[in-house]
Formats: sequence, structure tokens, C-alpha cells
Amino acid sequence: METFAQPLPAYTALAAVGIVLFGAFLRVTRLTAGWAPYRTWLVMLPVVFAALWLGVWGWAALVTVVSVYGFKEFARASGLYRERLFVLVVYAAIVAMNLAAVFGRFGLFMVAPVWAVGLLTLVPIVRNRTEGMLQGFALSVVGVVYFAWFLAHLTYLAIWQDGLGLVIYVVLATQLNDVLAFLTGKLFGRHRWTVLSPNKTVEGSLGALALSIAFAFLNWQLAFPRFPWWGVLAAGLIVGVGGQIGDLTLANFKRNIGIKDFGDLLPGHGGILDRLNSLTLVAPVFLHFARFFFDGFP
Amino acid sequence: MGASPPSDPPPLTFAYQPMPDLDRPLRERLGQYPRVPDMTFDALRTVARWLAILLFRLQFPLEVRGAPPQADRVALVANHASHLDSLAVLASISERRRREIAVLAAKDYFFERLRTAVGGSFFAQAVSFDRTRYTELRRWSRILREQERGTLLVFPSGSRRRSEAHDAILFVLAKSGWIIVPVAIAGTAEAWPVGRAVWRPFRRIRVTFGEPAGEVPTKELAAFLGEFWRANA
Repeated sequence: METFAQPLPAYTALAAVGIVLFGAFLRVTRLTAGWAPYRTWLVMLPVVFAALWLGVWGWAALVTVVSVYGFKEFARASGLYRERLFVLVVYAAIVAMNLAAVFGRFGLFMVAPVWAVGLLTLVPIVRNRTEGMLQGFALSVVGVVYFAWFLAHLTYLAIWQDGLGLVIYVVLATQLNDVLAFLTGKLFGRHRWTVLSPNKTVEGSLGALALSIAFAFLNWQLAFPRFPWWGVLAAGLIVGVGGQIGDLTLANFKRNIGIKDFGDLLPGHGGILDRLNSLTLVAPVFLHFARFFFDGFP
Repeated sequence: MGASPPSDPPPLTFAYQPMPDLDRPLRERLGQYPRVPDMTFDALRTVARWLAILLFRLQFPLEVRGAPPQADRVALVANHASHLDSLAVLASISERRRREIAVLAAKDYFFERLRTAVGGSFFAQAVSFDRTRYTELRRWSRILREQERGTLLVFPSGSRRRSEAHDAILFVLAKSGWIIVPVAIAGTAEAWPVGRAVWRPFRRIRVTFGEPAGEVPTKELAAFLGEFWRANA
């Protein structure tokens, strides 16, 4: 709890005010499509903040559970879930990587994917089978890197002395970036720009990027007071661009597999992965940016 | 006669085969029977079951008379007066049978909301039975005929407020070739009566397994069960 100092009460209050204002905005603009995701946010925000108030272990537990469930959605959608051993190795990797993050073992954390992929290579040998093993191996490597390792960076972010502000900023800003892309796209979107996600518009994406940068500067003193102005600008760019790339990456997965959503756990959003898609890329890029330029992590 | 040019090999693509229940809501997936193997749910179900039975055994002195037969396709048919009935039976059988047992539970009561579906499926091994749909018995008849093994716990009264068995579900069980084993549960109605928000710990509970009703004509099953329950519950 020592690590989590000032930003938490402030962000908790801001989140509460934000959710009320967003509800009022939906009522005024009569964007009925926004009500289902909004109601889900009313549940998700307390869960996220409760984990943060519990401290690093609470946060790590939430990241682990969410990563396991997210990978499970991916494995069920791709059919990898039938290959239990591959799935078990990825589950174990998720737990191990989050533990390495909690204990601040940066070297171990960085090489964890090597050990996990090494373990995966044993699966076809243990199963003594070739059929479908290349596909299973490849999908499991995606699981290890994308859902285990990338998301475990969220836990690692939390152990820095200024980590709480960064964690909350990354989570809230990325989610806000999604909401802003949705809203600006709905209100001003005219020109579609990608087959990966046909509803994305140039206006929506650029609007979300601009507002994400503005949001970073609004959070400067609260989330990263030691960053210079260019660091804050970069933080906004990482969220604004990285969030949308992460979103498109999982949209690409879904279109390849031939599904609309990864699940139905979060009404109005889809599955856990449909909500986490933009975080998967932002979390590692943000951590390594902060570590490289500001040398913040052990 | 020149040789035909070799055709291009087909592009190398992955063949994705999503799980068959991918597009079904989570609460429906939790209630489906037969259960689709799911290692996460199976693990959670095991932990939740152990926890529920541990708490049950710590709070309620349990007396077990008899045992279900060592056979596949066994339907335990019990009287129903309390939410504790499922746990009482689960606590009275072997771990092997607990792992595979499915407790028929009303869909409109347990599987319309996610939290009750999670609680029922994980802690009480519940599966969904839609008592409001008139084709449900036909669906279950087909499922039961196709099942080669398994154990079911059925409360044929359909409600905690009713003491007589409905004939239809007994008829389906008998015609599908499942072994019908009468089970009488005593004491749960006092331990957690209908209408009370919380249970009363430390009440004595007794579960009695009868002999399989193999020789009993299908039409007389309800009367046979009623008699067994009156004598033992």
C-alpha cells in the first residue's frame, strides 16, 4: 500500500465523476447504443478500483484472472482450447509472469516468454503427435506473448514508485480512447479507412488521438509529474496510436477466425478481449518507454 | 502430348474450429448437459464443490443410509424441500460420482442471471432444465438415450413447495433406460425452510438411498417414490 500514494483517491473521485458525466452525456445526446456498455462500466470500474485499493497483489490478481479469461476466450474462438496441454502451459506462463512482475525481477520477466515458448516446444513431443501441432504451437506462442506477457506489463507498471499513476492512466486513458473513438466516429465519422474494422472512420481515429493527447496533458501532474512535456506528449501518442493498433490487431484475429465477438461476458462490449484489445499493446510500449527514458523501474 | 503444367499448391492456411458453444451466452454454457469439457470451469467446479461440501459437513451432522449402485446411467430421484437438498446428496456420494453428477435445476430460477448460474453450476453441479418449454422433455429424452454414462440428481416434484412427483420426467428417465434410485432427504426443510433468507446450522440431516426401482412399472413410479419418501424423509 505504500507504493500507492496520492493518485488513487483523486482518480477514484475522478472516475466516479466521469461515469456520472458520461451517463448525463448519453442522456442528452440520446446515444442509445451507449447504454449497454455504460451499464457494464458501472460494474467494471468498481472492480478495477477495488483491486487498486488492495495494493500490488490485488492488482496482480486482477490482471492474472483477466489474462487467463482473455486467453481462454482466444483459445475457445480459435479452437486451441481442445489442446489442453498447450493451454495449460499458457495459463502457467500467465501466473509465472505476473509473479515475476510483482517481485520486480525484470531480467526474469523479460526472458519469461523464452522459457514459456521452450515449454511449448515440448508439447508435441509429450503428445507424440504431429497433426495440428504447428497450428497449436503457433497459437500458443501468440497466447504467451500477447495475452500473458504483454498484459503482465500492467502488473509490472504497478511496482514502480510512481507506478500507480501510470497504471491508472494507462488503463483509463486506453479505455477512454476507445470511448472517444466510438463517440467521435458516431458523431462526425464519414470516411472509413480499414478493412480490419470497417466501422472505424478517419474522423473517429484522429479525434480519439487528439483527445488522448489532451487527456495526457490533463493528467500530467497526477499521473506522471516527473515527465517533461515531450514525455507527456509521447504518453498521449502511445495511448492514442497504440490503443487503436491493439484494437485493430484483435479485430484482425476475429476476422481471420470468422467471429464477431470473443464472448459475451461484458454486455455491450462482448468478451473480455473485446474490452482489453487496446490495452494489450499499450501496456508494454508504455512501460518500456517510461523505463528507457525515465529509468523508473527496478 | 505435353505434360500439363503443375498447378499451384493450395495456400497454407490455419483451419480454425471454434468451440461448438462459442456463440452461446455464458449462463447457457454453464447449464448445458452433457457438459462440454472445459478445463477452467471443471477446475473451478471442483474447488467450489469441495468448498461447498466442506462448509456443509462442518455445519450439518449428516447421516447416510445405503448407497447408490456402482453402475453407469444412474438417476438419483429425491424429494425436494430446501436449497440444501442438492448439497446433502452431493455430500453423501463418492467423489468419483460427484465429479460426473448433474443436478437438474429450473432454468427460469437458476440460469436466467449470470450470478445464480455461476453459483448453481459451480457449487451445486446444476444443469439447466427449462420447465416452461413443452418440448423440453422430448429434448431430455433424446439426450438421456444418447448418454452412455453419467449420474443425474432429479427432483421430480419440480418445486420445493410441492411434495408429489411429476410423472413425465420419471417416464422419460425410465424409457431412456436409466437406473432410477429413490433418495429420501430428511432434515433439510428444518435446516433451511422455504422462504427463509438464511439457513439454520447444526440441524441433523439424513439421506437414504433406496434400492433401484427396476421392477416397478413406469406408471407406478410416482406412487412408489411417494411411499419411499414418506417412509424415510
